[in-house]
Amino acid sequence: METHALPGARFVDPKVLARIKDLSLLARNVVDGFINGLHRAPYFGASVDFAEHRGYVPGDDIRRVDWKLFARTDRYFVKQYEADTNANLVILLDVSKSMGFASDEVSKLQYASFLAASLGYLSHRQRDRVGIITFDEDVVSRVPPSAKHFNVMLHTLDRSKAERPGRLIAMLDKMAEFFKRRSIVVLISDLYESPSDILEALKPYRSLNNDLVVFHVLDPAEISFPYTEASRFQDLESGEEVPVVPEVFAEQYRAMMKEHIAALAGKCAESRIDYLQLTTNQPLDEALFYYLGNRERLMRVR
Amino acid sequence: MSFLAPLFFAGLAAVAVPILVHLIQRERKTIIAFPSLMFIRRIPYQSVERRRIHNWFLLMMRVAAMALLVAAFARPFFAVDPVKAAAALGGAREVVILLDRSASMGYGDHWARAQAEAKKIADSIGGADRATLVLFGTGAEEAVRATSDGGRLGAAIADAKVSSDATRYAPALRLAQSILTRSPLPRKQAVLISDFQRSGWEKQEEISMPDGAELTPISVGTPETANLSVTSVKFQRTSFQGEERVVLTAGLTNRGATTIKAQDVKLEVDGRVVDTRQVSIDPNASGSVSFPQMTVAAPMRAVIRAGTDALPADNVFNFVLSPSRPVSVLVVQAEGAASSLYLTTALGIGTSPPFKSEVLTPSRVTPASFEKRSVVILNDATPLGTQAEEALNRFVTQGGGLFVVLGDRTPMSAAATLLPGKLGPAVERLRTGTGTLGFLDHSHPIFEGFKDPKSGNFSVIRFFKVRGLTPGPTDKVLARFDDGSAAMVERAVGSGRVIAFASTLDKSWNDFPIQHLFLPLVHQTVSYLGQYREPDAWYVVGRTLDVSVPIAAIVREGGAGDANTAARRPSGVVMTPSGSQVTIGEGGAQAVELAEQGFYSVRLQGLGDRKPFQVAVNLDPTESDLSSLPTAEFVATATGHAAVTASGQSLENPNLTPEDIEKKQAVWWYLFAAGAALLLAEAVVANRLSKRFGFGLS
Repeated sequence: METHALPGARFVDPKVLARIKDLSLLARNVVDGFINGLHRAPYFGASVDFAEHRGYVPGDDIRRVDWKLFARTDRYFVKQYEADTNANLVILLDVSKSMGFASDEVSKLQYASFLAASLGYLSHRQRDRVGIITFDEDVVSRVPPSAKHFNVMLHTLDRSKAERPGRLIAMLDKMAEFFKRRSIVVLISDLYESPSDILEALKPYRSLNNDLVVFHVLDPAEISFPYTEASRFQDLESGEEVPVVPEVFAEQYRAMMKEHIAALAGKCAESRIDYLQLTTNQPLDEALFYYLGNRERLMRVR
Repeated sequence: MSFLAPLFFAGLAAVAVPILVHLIQRERKTIIAFPSLMFIRRIPYQSVERRRIHNWFLLMMRVAAMALLVAAFARPFFAVDPVKAAAALGGAREVVILLDRSASMGYGDHWARAQAEAKKIADSIGGADRATLVLFGTGAEEAVRATSDGGRLGAAIADAKVSSDATRYAPALRLAQSILTRSPLPRKQAVLISDFQRSGWEKQEEISMPDGAELTPISVGTPETANLSVTSVKFQRTSFQGEERVVLTAGLTNRGATTIKAQDVKLEVDGRVVDTRQVSIDPNASGSVSFPQMTVAAPMRAVIRAGTDALPADNVFNFVLSPSRPVSVLVVQAEGAASSLYLTTALGIGTSPPFKSEVLTPSRVTPASFEKRSVVILNDATPLGTQAEEALNRFVTQGGGLFVVLGDRTPMSAAATLLPGKLGPAVERLRTGTGTLGFLDHSHPIFEGFKDPKSGNFSVIRFFKVRGLTPGPTDKVLARFDDGSAAMVERAVGSGRVIAFASTLDKSWNDFPIQHLFLPLVHQTVSYLGQYREPDAWYVVGRTLDVSVPIAAIVREGGAGDANTAARRPSGVVMTPSGSQVTIGEGGAQAVELAEQGFYSVRLQGLGDRKPFQVAVNLDPTESDLSSLPTAEFVATATGHAAVTASGQSLENPNLTPEDIEKKQAVWWYLFAAGAALLLAEAVVANRLSKRFGFGLS
């Protein structure tokens, strides 16, 4: 495996980022904070996190000149603040045991981690605050959004292991309480729950005017069901075993999975939630490019 | 048909395996981990139909293979009658039963067990078989020659008794080798029943059993043995006011693993307990116990007894307690001469043995003068009287010793047969310088002690005058002067010995008496002529007693040389400890094998009421060491062919043991091969069917 100086840096594959570096993750709604760059903001104000001084150049806001420093040095300096960020990006990453499934080299959890890191990096470059919450049957780790937390987020991703069964609906309910400010909330999960229950659980997020994005990560085997020999199938999370004769089951299964994905996509669209189903053999950069491009288009429409 | 291991038939349950495989082959136990069974659970489960067995051929192949393998492990064999079985195993047997009857077999129940084992083998002898019973200890003897009569063998085994012999395996094995080599029968077996004492086997004694012969050791030994034995007695003699006193010290050995504490040790003399002492000995250690000094006036039977244990024979030690007796010497010198000064002085100094000398002139020598003499020395003497000379002849013939010292005088007539060689004139050696001794026969007992270069230089003795002496053709020259003339000549006369010395034993003809070699040479010569021998206080079983020993003892005590020759004829009887008699001496055996532990009594004819000569006999000390040799090691070293080593199993009905028959028939091997072949064929058939139908084999 390729090594990187920074833990989790492998999740921000340069090949992936080369395709999306010109794109901006634009907040669909104005969030709290100051707007610099491309962001629109309902308020004028300044970040309170002082970063450094720089020399005054014509055109700079005279109110940002540090007069105390001028008094000591007889030269003009402008105060610069740490964050020009305006948006919170919070990723809700499902690390339940089912996410550990891999029919090929990359498990769903790995793929989800790549995706989360890519989004985090992109947001970090835009000086957005990034945070992450990993969960299975309980909250595993929580990194509050901050401009300084990108590396922490990468560490969290790196430590994530699919070890325990999950409770997606209960966790969505619980995690909704963490959001006091408007954020871009990204949910990455395999969504093995009823679509209506999932949408019901996502409602609180919507009521806070968060921008909600759902990535539905699946393994190709979960969709195509390539098994042929009669076997006992064991539920990764509950350990339950069921005898399965694929030649009898396969068609029904594929149809049910297709119906499930369609139901999720339809209900998300109805609730103005961005939904994208990804498979682990799908190139990540293509998926991001498609999604972010789609988001930019939607933003312009709005 | 029978089976050696019928329990293996429980393995027939394995036949169900292929049937079950056929029936439930579709329900494989492969488990596939899947993220969620959310959708699968919704699909109604359809149980898979148990398919019918439609490939009966394949199923039967599998079942048959399993059954054959199980049957092979059950070790089947076909029971046949004994005669056919014997034929199948190679025909009639030549069996040599080697039964150890050495003294160590008397330990505990070893002998009874050995007899029982031998009896078993004797009972197994069939009509076509032959068996020889060999009893062995130090030597080996055929107690029953080759016979098919098991009854005779059994009776001989029952009659056999433990002997006092030491254990020696080689003679018995060589006898077995000889018997088996001569035998025309196809199967040859030697069965050695023993306690396998390590001391009885010298590894270099390789035995060559004939090809195909099997040596089967049967050990009746006990791993843990405890044995106390009396191994020796030492005498410490002192003389006090003409009486000889002896302190006895008995040596004891504890060969057990436990300490022996306060064990009573008794000294018996002539059947009466005279003292009891106690001794404690550590495990595998030796100890000693001393008895207070006692006066010894005449030979006595003495026994040391130290308790009793599983091997009582070695708790007893027999010996004869005898006083040491001086060698009685009669010195005859010419009237008015003083030639015996140095000689008698030298004899007076002797202590081991002590010498008692008496000097007489020829005229005073009578036949009675030779009574109780061991040696007579004619020291430059004039001839004896006729009667005295005749008595001297008898004395020498019957074992006495005569030392003739030659000077100017002629001690006996030219026709005398006692003088070794022909006398010549005296020769002056001063004319040609002094003479010296130029040759000594160092192989002779007299000069043997002077063989070492540092033990004396005889060439320093200067001879001024010597007597011419020409030895006869049967005489032996023991020493020569430097000019080649004889200096000392020996002649054997009857049982006696005569030595002539061609010079004097005073300073008139030489300076020998003042040389340091004079004393030892005189002692050696007189001891040799008197046939002096330290009496053996005891012998070990297996030794041979030369009858000359008791005869010489009687001579020393004065029994020879009497005028009544008929009464003193050296012949008599030996009474063994078990009571049997052996005639010895003239007309009888010249030697007696001491085969029993105890006291042998030697009585010569004509001794009247005189106490008989006693010979004490004890066990070989090695018999007390009961440490045993592993039988496998024994057979390997004995034959050099470990491969023919038998396991020591009983040979009772050897032809009929199921193991032997099964081993010979080896039916299991064919079944195993058939099963393996079936499995191979099954694999080929199953593979082809699988390819043809593209699914399982049911």
